[in-house]
Amino acid sequence: MTDQREGKLHPYIPELKDQLDRGRIDRREFLRTATLLGLSATAAYAMAGQPLVSTARAATPKKGGNLRVSMRCQEMTDPATFDWTEKSNVARQIVEYLTITGPDNVTRPYLCERWEASDDLKTWTLHLRKGVTWSNGDAFNADDVAFNFTRWLDPNTGSSNIGLFASMVSETDTGQKDDSGKPIISKSMTEGAVEKVDDHTVRLNLNRAELALPENLYNYPTAIVHRRFSDEGGDLSRNPVGTGPFALKNFSVGERADLVRRDDYWGEAPYLDAITNLDHGDDAGAGLAALVSDQVDLVYETFVEQIDIVAKMPNLQLYEAVTAQTGVARMQMDVAPFDDVRVRTAVRLCQDHERLLELAYRGKGAPAQDHHVAPVHPEYAPMPTPKQDYARAKQLLAEAGYSDGIDLKIDCKKEPPWEVAVAQALAEMCKPAGIRVAINVMPNAQYWEIWDQTPFGFTAWTHRPLGVMVLNLGYRSGVPWNESHHENPEFDRVLDLAGAALDVDERRKHMAELQRILQEDAVIAQPLWRSVFAAGNKRVQDYTLHPTIYHQLNKVWMS
Amino acid sequence: MLVFFAKRLGYMALTMFAVSLLVYLLLEINVESVAVRVLGPYSNDEQRYLWLEAHGYFEPLWYRYLSWLGNFVMGDFGDSVRFKVPVADILWPRLWNTAILGFWTFAVMIPLSLVLGVLAGMKEGSRLDRAISVTSIATTSVPEFASAVFFAAILVFWFKLLPGTSGMADGFSFKELILPVLVLVVYDFGYVARMTRASMAEVMTAPYIRTAVLKGLPYHKVILKHALRNALIAPFTVIMLQLNWLLSGVIVVEFFFAYKGFGALLLEASLNNDGFLIEACAMVAVFVAVGSQTLADIGYTYLNPRIRFS
Repeated sequence: MTDQREGKLHPYIPELKDQLDRGRIDRREFLRTATLLGLSATAAYAMAGQPLVSTARAATPKKGGNLRVSMRCQEMTDPATFDWTEKSNVARQIVEYLTITGPDNVTRPYLCERWEASDDLKTWTLHLRKGVTWSNGDAFNADDVAFNFTRWLDPNTGSSNIGLFASMVSETDTGQKDDSGKPIISKSMTEGAVEKVDDHTVRLNLNRAELALPENLYNYPTAIVHRRFSDEGGDLSRNPVGTGPFALKNFSVGERADLVRRDDYWGEAPYLDAITNLDHGDDAGAGLAALVSDQVDLVYETFVEQIDIVAKMPNLQLYEAVTAQTGVARMQMDVAPFDDVRVRTAVRLCQDHERLLELAYRGKGAPAQDHHVAPVHPEYAPMPTPKQDYARAKQLLAEAGYSDGIDLKIDCKKEPPWEVAVAQALAEMCKPAGIRVAINVMPNAQYWEIWDQTPFGFTAWTHRPLGVMVLNLGYRSGVPWNESHHENPEFDRVLDLAGAALDVDERRKHMAELQRILQEDAVIAQPLWRSVFAAGNKRVQDYTLHPTIYHQLNKVWMS
Repeated sequence: MLVFFAKRLGYMALTMFAVSLLVYLLLEINVESVAVRVLGPYSNDEQRYLWLEAHGYFEPLWYRYLSWLGNFVMGDFGDSVRFKVPVADILWPRLWNTAILGFWTFAVMIPLSLVLGVLAGMKEGSRLDRAISVTSIATTSVPEFASAVFFAAILVFWFKLLPGTSGMADGFSFKELILPVLVLVVYDFGYVARMTRASMAEVMTAPYIRTAVLKGLPYHKVILKHALRNALIAPFTVIMLQLNWLLSGVIVVEFFFAYKGFGALLLEASLNNDGFLIEACAMVAVFVAVGSQTLADIGYTYLNPRIRFS
């Protein structure tokens, strides 16, 4: 048992180190995979041959100050049902996660001190940090973690985590039938999926291999709440008990959320005394106006149309993050006319990806390749960007019986404006092939109501650190977020293999196959990968924009 | 007088009932969307079904409507699904903020438009009349969303004179009120000034004004004593009707300047299908509409001696 203190080294780690030395993987991929496999971040960095503190600071951080942020302050009753990053950004300062993924895409231990995966990646052991206390004085322990998992995976909670941790969920036939006569299938936690080993150790027993478990533990709805959260009202905004560095002082939905530093925080104390989040509504211009007139120090997000204004203001700075954020014009493969792969392929072939990126996003990002795996994903298999091919598009349409062209309607949401711009540019590009696309611009809230129902829609997808995560969420047969109704047993089979492949080269081979299948199935026309931006006053120091705009503010200080 | 009030109250109750039923039925078209709102777009069908079941959405429509109506009459407006707090908790503060905005808008707009209207109407066709009329028409024809951008670009981004948003985060601030009031006044004063001008011009041609001038009264006495009272009857009604306009007119301004008022609340409630909140907002709108009309009618009878309660 004494060896366990250091944690059992996963058998794959020496092999990984060897690959790094021979240049087969880059440093970032080594760090990611090594930390994913349970090596502590410090050890991983040491093995990779670089000190943990990489950049020398220009100035010594100063304690104190109030960071005023322009961000929506929505209700934040229950972290498990969060559907907006903004909600989690207020809660993120109060409650914490088991792991943390930095702006560099590396996932590190957080409330979880270290973790181990079995060789088949089906059993994960989480070693929880000792000495962590809740703001109500209780000690953080395995009961908290078990409680959260059980709660997330109970369908009555209504948490989207049930999809995130699908490998811990079983389907049971309730025996009842719904109005249309389909049997009602209930999804709930597999018996014994969460096992408390001792006060600070939890074992997760999965149905199938899962590589990205630590990454999944740092998703916005996976914040760890207190084990009596439900008994004490189940409302974080009224009863803000957390392990985090800040306490909720004042909260008014739609107006503001005031946070003050806790003096009894278990970890390294943050520099800021307080964080004031101010809600300026859905108007993107309002946040910027507040920043320009010094009513706030930081805005949640700055849109690509606004970056010129920020550049002109001498007291402002622009933050940029390269991401796997994207939008897909996805077609439901079981709804006419998209049930014909030739129609879908024709739409796909009309795209000139580089031009679309230039037209809709000022070239800030990367052209995409219609398979939803980004070049920033470590397992991305390089392939040429598909070329625009009107001749073939026309031929396919004619074969499908649309020799006179075809009329289509695409739904897209109004904000942010680049999404409409993409839809418009795409519609223009489709014209020469005889595909007449009408654009139906909808208010955001209304689009999110039908996003998984409309036959042809343009949906924005957020950044995820691994390519397999996206494919599992959006393109595996029958998963809840499979908005294109993509169904291909061969794809599912290869995706299982990719999800179990630790060797990044081997995984990349599977990814090449997956990327090819998805292109051939042509359920998405994917124009671009986009960068995201934020703007702040120059007095804000050491803020790094996270690819998913998660507010990690423990190291931020004000000059 | 009492009969008049009783009639108006009955009329108001009836309108509220009809509107509330209509709104309830419209929101009923897509009940499932309520669950999508609460649980987020990424929830699955089973979770949505369980939520709707737990919150009583499978009861018959008439039962749910009547229980809402009963609670509403007793002063319980229900819970907002968007804000997850009782509707009353957000409705009243927001309404109060809009009342403040409306008060200052009226405080600037009414004197300004009356003075300009009277000046223009005193001598129809004069150079002053032309100048005021052209200005009024020009400002009224610029929509609020355009003038808001225009004023913000100049006063916030260029000269950096005024704060860009009006959330009143550090308590009430006159400075933050300037831009929203400016936009509303610029949009609205022209209309009222034009109405006043028309009314004044008409009065100035009346025989009793001619008589007053002929019997040798000084010009200012003719205007103040004889013309003004009669000329103000029409603008009074128009101004009372502006109360209604204000309730919807503030939506754009409140959204743009992030002012925490009724308009922004109504917009957010509508975009998010927040049923109980929409109902409450609709009831407020009906109340203001009927209430301001009643006030206008009463005021009218006092201003115009030819009309009396019978």
